[in-house]
Amino acid sequence: MRSPRPGRYADLMSAFRTIDDLESALQAADYLPDRGLSTALFLALALEKPLLLEGEAGVGKTEAAKSLAIATGSRLIRLQCYEGLDVAHAVYEWNYPRQLLHIRAAQEGTVSEDELFGPEFLIRRPLLEAIDSDEPVVLLIDEIDRADEEFEAFLLEVLSDFQITIPELGTIRARRKPAVILTSNRTRELHDALKRRALFHWIGHPSIDREIEIVKIRIPGVSERLAAEAAAFVRELRGLDLAKPPGVAETIDWTMALNALGRQEIDADVVEQTLGSVLKYREDIEAVRDETLAQLVDTARATAAR
Amino acid sequence: MADAVVRHVVTFGRVLREVGLEVGPGRVADALRGLDVVDLTRQEDVYFALRQTLVARQDELDLFDRAFNAWFLRAPVLPPVRTSDRPAEQQKIGESLSDASGGEQDEETGDPLELGASGHELLRDKDFAEMTPDEYRRVRRLIAAIAGHRPLRASRRRRSDPRGDRLDMRRLIRASLRTGGDPVERPYRARKDVPRKLVVLCDVSGSMDAYARALILFLHAAVGSGPGVEAFAFGTRLSRLTPELGTRDPESALEKCTEAVTDWGSGTRIGASLKEFNDLYGKRALSRGAVVVIVSDGWERQDPELVGREMARLSRAAYAVVWVNPLKGNPEYQPLAGGMRAALPYVDRFLSGHNLRSLEELAAVLAGIERRHAA
Repeated sequence: MRSPRPGRYADLMSAFRTIDDLESALQAADYLPDRGLSTALFLALALEKPLLLEGEAGVGKTEAAKSLAIATGSRLIRLQCYEGLDVAHAVYEWNYPRQLLHIRAAQEGTVSEDELFGPEFLIRRPLLEAIDSDEPVVLLIDEIDRADEEFEAFLLEVLSDFQITIPELGTIRARRKPAVILTSNRTRELHDALKRRALFHWIGHPSIDREIEIVKIRIPGVSERLAAEAAAFVRELRGLDLAKPPGVAETIDWTMALNALGRQEIDADVVEQTLGSVLKYREDIEAVRDETLAQLVDTARATAAR
Repeated sequence: MADAVVRHVVTFGRVLREVGLEVGPGRVADALRGLDVVDLTRQEDVYFALRQTLVARQDELDLFDRAFNAWFLRAPVLPPVRTSDRPAEQQKIGESLSDASGGEQDEETGDPLELGASGHELLRDKDFAEMTPDEYRRVRRLIAAIAGHRPLRASRRRRSDPRGDRLDMRRLIRASLRTGGDPVERPYRARKDVPRKLVVLCDVSGSMDAYARALILFLHAAVGSGPGVEAFAFGTRLSRLTPELGTRDPESALEKCTEAVTDWGSGTRIGASLKEFNDLYGKRALSRGAVVVIVSDGWERQDPELVGREMARLSRAAYAVVWVNPLKGNPEYQPLAGGMRAALPYVDRFLSGHNLRSLEELAAVLAGIERRHAA
């Protein structure tokens, strides 16, 4: 039996006895997960383990965490990782200008060090915020692969103990454990230790039917036909050999653009004009323009008509 | 949970280990806890619960799927592909390399980089392709020493340093307490230099045979010099060598290398190999910010244009691209081979690497490299 600890997810979980329950709550938050992702999020809550989401850019990794926060009524705290991310930007930092002003404003000798390094001079960054929260939290650690390996090691410590030590203030323990979602674009392999601690789910591109559903739910009033043709066209693009195949986010952006232009369907002209919102690299755009565009449009329309 | 389920999952864990997945007891325990909370009558849920708890890498999903199908669905399954038989030619290279390292113990001990003696001096300029096994044995250690030089980048982590470039605010505040808020003492912090990512792509095709041995040693030493080094070999296709070169023992590393590069000694497809690298690893930003060293004679048999295109992609992502071509050691050499000519516009440094002296030059360039193509 697991020993009772402070910070169980019990309150988060109580609403979701089954995967279906969670799935409906996510759908109510305008997110359409496939069964695999629902299962992963459900297990992350049930087993109280961090969930590592990997997949091509634009398949909805970040969205998954946001929707989980909405579905569970939690606060979303996001830590965006980048090369060089350090403790001062991820955990906490002292507010030095205020500290200096405080010393100057006070009578000489009346300010103690304890006072100066007290909570009121502390700037709380996402990790501390998540650990020290009284409300339920979904902690999104986005693009962990961009952070330095040293930071990853530090993160591993935080994720195993759910506590943070500030030399001047002592150790702060999580009163309730945040649900943790990590995302990675696989720009490098993560530490085995981190992987061991987390559940792992690979998000692939959605099926065409699901992608059409996603487009329709995100763009109210879009024509069924346009959604289907756009999704089918993007799917054709993914089959090509591109530097950056478009993700669901690109399908949505693009369909939105087409919808704003008043289109009910696609043709080679409008695709050519708007290709920049689907493909982000010049060489990709050129590759598609050169050879295959009209043909891809035809294929996509045929697929959508079925 | 029913004992039968527990036994089933534990055995399945063993099956996965047999096909090469790292499935520790912690993962099996997670899998059991996972199955506890999902509906066991839904095959999809059981599949995902097992997969998400037992697999930690995307490239293992395929193996997992096959094992799952075989174990739980009783579907006929093909065994995972393992290339165990080595062609005779590879065997030969492996042997000659272990010969070369055989007598290392009776070698003189001294600073390997000190090459004052005239005998050493000669060795230093001798083409690797013309060395006797004995000479080759003597230069092995020198190669390792040379490869230890790594390009540096400034880390974001700062530590206390009186000559640093940023104030250490925490200490400054404490010190200011004693002086009524006046920052009299100014402690500083500085960034530490850490090795920059280094990616080495080594051509091991037939035309490079003579240099492959020395360069594989160079690669081994480079990988051993710390984190952030990735090594690849290519010929007709690309193969990642980093794991094979990760061992402390160069000899077995060489052996494993030979095993991993299955197309050893066959033709070259530089463009296709670069493309494979860009597609598979470039997308994962392995090359972003890295110094990329390509070791090849630039003999592209198939598609020089592709070489140019892929070099352009590579050079956009990389911090700097160094091309090492042993043929350049010949004073009469002109980079006329189609592949080489297509690649040159994207190369920041073009070096020879055909003898010890040129490897030293390579190391010096790596240690002090500055980006040229940014300008």
